[in-house]
Amino acid sequence: MPESATSIPLILATLASATAFVLATQRLCDPQRSGHLLIMRLLLGAVTVICAAVFAARVAWVHQAWLPVQAHVDGLLLIAALLAPAVLYVQAKPKLFGLSLFALPLLTLILLWGVCASLWTYRPFRLDSFEPAWVVFHTSATYLGLLMCGLGAAGGAMYLFVQSRVKAKTGFDQVNPMASLETLETLIIRTATLGFVLLTLSLASGLIIVTQSHELTSLGKAWWVSPKVWLAGSAWVVYALLINVRSSSLFRGRRAAWLAIAGLVLVLATYGAVEAIGDEPLHAESAGTEGGN
Amino acid sequence: MRLLMLGFNHRTAPLELREALAFDSDSAAAAIAELRSEHPACECVLLSTCNRTELYLARPIHDPPTIEQLRGFVAGRTGVAIETVESASIHREQEQAAAHLFRVSAGLDSMVLGEPQVLGQVKRAYESANDQGAVGPVLHRLFQGAITAGKQARNQTGIDQGRTSVSSVAVAFARNIFDHFGDKIVLAIGAGEMIKAALAPLLREDPKSLLLVNRTHQRAIDLANALGLTGEGHGARPWDDLDTLLIEADIIVSCTAASEPIITAGRFKPLLKKRRGRPLFMLDLAVPRDLDPAIGALRNVYLYNLDDLQRAVKATEDDRRELVEQCEDLLSTHVARCMGEIRHRDVGRLIKQLRQRLHAMAEEEQGRTARKLAALNGESTEENVQSLIEQHNHRLVNKILHLPLSQLDRSDPDATLGFYAAALRRLFDLQDQADMAADESDPGS
Repeated sequence: MPESATSIPLILATLASATAFVLATQRLCDPQRSGHLLIMRLLLGAVTVICAAVFAARVAWVHQAWLPVQAHVDGLLLIAALLAPAVLYVQAKPKLFGLSLFALPLLTLILLWGVCASLWTYRPFRLDSFEPAWVVFHTSATYLGLLMCGLGAAGGAMYLFVQSRVKAKTGFDQVNPMASLETLETLIIRTATLGFVLLTLSLASGLIIVTQSHELTSLGKAWWVSPKVWLAGSAWVVYALLINVRSSSLFRGRRAAWLAIAGLVLVLATYGAVEAIGDEPLHAESAGTEGGN
Repeated sequence: MRLLMLGFNHRTAPLELREALAFDSDSAAAAIAELRSEHPACECVLLSTCNRTELYLARPIHDPPTIEQLRGFVAGRTGVAIETVESASIHREQEQAAAHLFRVSAGLDSMVLGEPQVLGQVKRAYESANDQGAVGPVLHRLFQGAITAGKQARNQTGIDQGRTSVSSVAVAFARNIFDHFGDKIVLAIGAGEMIKAALAPLLREDPKSLLLVNRTHQRAIDLANALGLTGEGHGARPWDDLDTLLIEADIIVSCTAASEPIITAGRFKPLLKKRRGRPLFMLDLAVPRDLDPAIGALRNVYLYNLDDLQRAVKATEDDRRELVEQCEDLLSTHVARCMGEIRHRDVGRLIKQLRQRLHAMAEEEQGRTARKLAALNGESTEENVQSLIEQHNHRLVNKILHLPLSQLDRSDPDATLGFYAAALRRLFDLQDQADMAADESDPGS
């Protein structure tokens, strides 16, 4: 399967997602635009179908193995294929009105990232020396964790937006009220909890892969001082804090929202660090901590 | 009589100024008494609610007080600078004053279009002034007409149906913060009508607990009973528990008659830590305010006052424009009828006074002529009697015409000669041409 067969549908999906974002913005200004809602749903349906179809096609014709995520673009396709129907679900829930506006930029960004990962930075993971079961577990946990972190950050951004409106006393709409602060805080905590669990599993499985593949008895000094490890650890700590928001007065409200956004930034920075130091000795020593990507 | 209205409302004065200009029942009574002592011929009613302070006054046409004097009176009573009073006040006279009261009564001038509370407030202001003996025939007719029209406008147009009330707006704002109310504690401070009205939609949301506190505990108990708050977790609590309740509550609604904030930032800040960051929605419906505005700046505290609600409901008014127009039509009919009756009554009294005065003149002249007739004794020839009758008629006509003609002669800038001349022509059925002919036949006059 040539890469253009992945890139072109991804570009179309990116455009569809960006259009849906523009329509969602217009609908926020005028909630009565029912036509916009239908077009948005069609576009999101198209994004879901495109991403799922390309992902399935890559599994069937590119990888020809039961290991579905063998490159970064696969993981991004998986996230997009899950996030697009999640946004569709959010749009159908009046309780979460407005959240799609904050989730759609994330979807567009992921798809755009997928286009880059497919067209310019395509590089399959080094899976030959790893235990396939652990790799499937690790990559799935990593990308699903990223999805949760993304949703949490979208909830956090919306929390800040709604709170600024409530504080400014302009958030009055009896017909189409935006999601309440309580709902958004619950969303942040739930996605953070799932993200925390998945990130923990990802880190743990990464460690297992590293130690098993290199038959290490202890982690080297380079591993401990690696920015990748520190960033991943920081993200993990942020989500550990977030799941305890309700029991601690210190992190309630805006601080929880900022933590959710900071968590996503740290996770993305970890991915960046993985990309940046991928071929350095640390990686050779402990390749696979992040799935070898 | 001349009808005047001097007022300040939510459109002309910000909340802080309305607080300063507000009158409670005692100070309103004192103000009316003072005004009546200075101007005994005046009728007056003082309407003071959360959103407005309006003074309605009927006085003899050329008598004081003027609007400027009324502004000075309000400034003196409230301690607000006269310049501020002048810039924030509106004044209406005659039909416009009546139309304003009718609009207020129908809820068209309210912050929440068609809200029913204002009708009761108008009624109470009228009854209170009436108890003081400050209401005469003009304001009786005006206020009774306004109350009737207010009821009729609501019944016929349904302006009060589906309205965005203060309390429904409050619930909508609370929904921006809370997803559900089943686990929330609502605290109401005060036990008046506004609290009762504000709690009704909150009760429909079925909160976990609804607690009432009031300085007079018995009033809180009475309100709790009136609202049917007898279940577990609901009911009245002593005033001394207020600090504890401020920690427990998720929603606080306050509307008391206190002249100073009952919850200051200094009092509330130490309690905030004990709330462990839980969001708090506070609604201050009182004027003067019960809750220190500085509380609204605290973390996870969302404080709204009446002006905030006004901004929110204004947006919904556009949707009900048609109902407003129907109401306006109905009210204009009522205003015209009411003012017609007031004028008719005025003219009736005027005619009565005129008759009395003319009869008095006639009797005086009659007595004088009778004395002259008696003095004739044996000389009462037909000629003499005829002469006396002519003198009698001449004097009587001169006496009657003396005052109006002397008014015409005055070069008073306020007295428009043309107006008086037209009135005389109309009243005595005089024609312009006849005047001109008379002028020509008597050039020396």
